[in-house]
Amino acid sequence: MAVIEVENLTRRYRSRTGTFRRRTAVVEALRGVSFAVEQGELFGLLGPNGAGKTTMIKVLTTLLLPTSGSARVLGFDARREARQIRGRVGYVFGGDRGLYDRLSAYDNLRYFADLYRVPPRTRRTRIDSLLEMVELKGRERERVETYSRGMRQRLHIARGLLHDPELLFLDEPTIGLDPVGARELRDTIGTLHQAGKTILLTTHYMYEADALCQRIAVIANGSFVATGTPSDLKKVVGDNTIVEIETFGVEDEVVDRLRRIPGVRAVGVETRDQAQVLLVQSAVGADVVRALLNELSGAVTGKVITREPTLEDAYVELVRSA
Amino acid sequence: MIPAILTGVRLHMKQASRNPFDLSGVIVWPILYASIAYYLLDAKHEPKLLLSASFGASVMLMWSMVVIASSGALEQQRWQGTLELVVAAPTPLTAVIGPICIGGALVGTYAIGAVLLWGAVLFDVPVHIEHPLAFALAIPAAALAVGLLGLIMASTFVLYRAAFHLGIATQYPVWIVTGLLVPLSLLPSFVRPISWLLAPTWGFRGLHEAALGGTPWPDIGMCLVLSAAYLAIGGTFLVAFEYVARARGSLRLT
Repeated sequence: MAVIEVENLTRRYRSRTGTFRRRTAVVEALRGVSFAVEQGELFGLLGPNGAGKTTMIKVLTTLLLPTSGSARVLGFDARREARQIRGRVGYVFGGDRGLYDRLSAYDNLRYFADLYRVPPRTRRTRIDSLLEMVELKGRERERVETYSRGMRQRLHIARGLLHDPELLFLDEPTIGLDPVGARELRDTIGTLHQAGKTILLTTHYMYEADALCQRIAVIANGSFVATGTPSDLKKVVGDNTIVEIETFGVEDEVVDRLRRIPGVRAVGVETRDQAQVLLVQSAVGADVVRALLNELSGAVTGKVITREPTLEDAYVELVRSA
Repeated sequence: MIPAILTGVRLHMKQASRNPFDLSGVIVWPILYASIAYYLLDAKHEPKLLLSASFGASVMLMWSMVVIASSGALEQQRWQGTLELVVAAPTPLTAVIGPICIGGALVGTYAIGAVLLWGAVLFDVPVHIEHPLAFALAIPAAALAVGLLGLIMASTFVLYRAAFHLGIATQYPVWIVTGLLVPLSLLPSFVRPISWLLAPTWGFRGLHEAALGGTPWPDIGMCLVLSAAYLAIGGTFLVAFEYVARARGSLRLT
């Protein structure tokens, strides 16, 4: 049974600029998106900044109205039956925001428990068990403003689970967390999924999506460019070999020359610290490394790695070709 | 919904009490107002006049606290990202914003005690309440009515990002048209019907009549009638404005 059904969904924003000569611009954040998420599924939404991921979540959590098309969540219409949806879904977003900083963690949870109509007789035990689960037991009387980012994020998860929602929306929950904190949070998400929760997760981190999600949709410029299991998506670049070359200060025209080398299918450039990393996709069996290094002979080069494609390569390819 | 309202009032008051800037204002303002009233009105010879002015100052502060609490809290909720979360909860927005306004008005009731104590200790103004029961009821009735007037105003803050500045701008006009700053008899006659629609007018009269002798019950009754009207109007506005905010996408401050 589908718990999320989205049909041809469009969402436009109007923005105004200028003080005396007001100009109105229309931004199309979602362009005719359709998809469904089944009960108990962990569905990932991947896309660059501004692709429409958060807009999609906000429409589904009833914080935004769709401009056209329809969105049904747990059988309720997101436009007209907001109240019914709100009591049944949980919404957690990443980052520092979304908590009452001058109040304690316990007070935050107590307030949201009342807003989500958790019965008074179970409220205390529910809060205690969630604090235990997110490992904040013993720190719950401290003000949230004294918490680390990881502690805040765990408190967010506890807040989102207070009313035991059937469906959980996680909007980049591990953003800004240190590796240990992010791994712990991924474990928590995995545990929730095993417990039967349906989860819609947005993330920038490919390994996170690869490790957690059963199905993934890649969104770019407000449209879905691919949907499938992580292995389905990897097949987009499946018959390619990836050559990673670390370089410094390579000009655009040199990159264009690399694209024209026989056997090369695509070239991407990523900046990592001081270095540029060239991600060259070529057909399996095509030996392009020598030709690439010849073209780069005038530039400083570092490590050269030849490897199998990953979900990230598929993602980059999908977003680039969108 | 009742637990959410009660917890909301308690936690918003708790949160406000942890902001040193807000707290110092709440403590200092009533004392400042009372001192000005003492010297302006020559209270040594007219203690009743000072008492009357003190109640006016208290209701002024009550309104200020409601304005600051509602507009400031909404702006703060936008900044800290909690506005979207409270809107995403199944509890109606009235039960979220109402407690913020009533919490502000309750903080403002402190002004009544502070002003009376300040006058008694420093200026020897005798504190004599003619109708103690009516006075005890006039305080929460005034707080409720002034707080719920704030609810109507707060509903517009859900839509507009410049909520705080908009809210602060309403302080003086309400003080003036309700006769708290200058007697209504000095203002043009068209102001009087406007003052009848605004809770501070009746809140002040209720306190005044109960303390100095008179008929406070009609004023307390008007506070309750207006509270019910404000709740209905504010609740309707909030439902409508929340819908508009969802359409515009203006809940978040980004």
